[in-house]
Amino acid sequence: MMNYWPWWAGSVALAAIAVGFWLLLRRPLGVSGSWSSIVGWREARALARSETPFRVNAAAMGDALLAATLAEFGEQATLQTLTAAGAGTPSPARAISPPTRAPWTVHLTFLVALLAGGFIASTLSGGFALRFDLGPAYIQLFGTGWHSWLLLMLGGTLVGFGTQMAGGCTSGHGLSGCSRLVPASLVATATFFATAVAVSFLAQVLAK
Amino acid sequence: MKRQSSAGQHFIYGLSGLALGFSLSRIGFTNFGQVHGMFVFSHLRLLYTFAGAVGLTMAGFMIFARGQNIPSKPFHPGTIPGSILFGTGWALTGSCPAVAIVQLGEGQLAAAFTLLGILFGVWSYRQAHAQLFHWDRGACE
Repeated sequence: MMNYWPWWAGSVALAAIAVGFWLLLRRPLGVSGSWSSIVGWREARALARSETPFRVNAAAMGDALLAATLAEFGEQATLQTLTAAGAGTPSPARAISPPTRAPWTVHLTFLVALLAGGFIASTLSGGFALRFDLGPAYIQLFGTGWHSWLLLMLGGTLVGFGTQMAGGCTSGHGLSGCSRLVPASLVATATFFATAVAVSFLAQVLAK
Repeated sequence: MKRQSSAGQHFIYGLSGLALGFSLSRIGFTNFGQVHGMFVFSHLRLLYTFAGAVGLTMAGFMIFARGQNIPSKPFHPGTIPGSILFGTGWALTGSCPAVAIVQLGEGQLAAAFTLLGILFGVWSYRQAHAQLFHWDRGACE
């Protein structure tokens, strides 16, 4: 059998990655978000382009917001707001700056690096081998051949659809969210873990 | 938000991906047998690893990110049904969104089918979300 890291070494590595990622980028680690950016690369690119002028020139964004407010509500509304705010000069741009988003190509780099990480780890540990199945436990539960591949595609679809619907996965909800006791992440993690336990026991019963 | 240059972001995401892929592989998160063993509680090592990682991440955020405003994901009507679908898929494939790619890197070619499924699932959710659901997912897009 493969000699894996002791459990605590894995904990240290995962925690270092999650915390380091935040400290370097000020973004929580989350793999399902990368999938979303890659699959929706057209929208991501269009969004990034539409935001660029505002990022480059925050004053222009302020002017545009003011113009839009005037067009929508008339001069009276703007005057009221300004008087209520008590400020001499209107500066909506300071309060509203669009969040920085990583371009979709950065997420592609991330996923390609994941692949490379798996290759390097398995090569160094002598575990690299080209094979068409997922190992003896998988074969025992779901068999081999095209119907097992079909099941993988179905399962993968559930993983893709489910993580997008839930707004996160093991890294985003499980690691980044649970470690800060975010309620939605605790609920999500408990739910996907409990479901996986139930389905695994069911599969084991059905395979016997 | 820390402003990183484009090259800087590629570098940091690339380094994180390498480290995460390497770690998931060496932990055994990419081994279907180990993951299934965790779900039926016959191998508890991965469970300890994950619980330990959550605890250490908590400590890490408390020490190094004290007072920083880390965005939290909102609870919305999709949180629970989405998690149920994900849990089912995780049990069937042994793979969460990162693992399938790492498996492929290890030479587990069957993971290509999981990857195709994930791509299709993410794509179809985006279609469904645009037409049916109107909640804020809070995902970092």
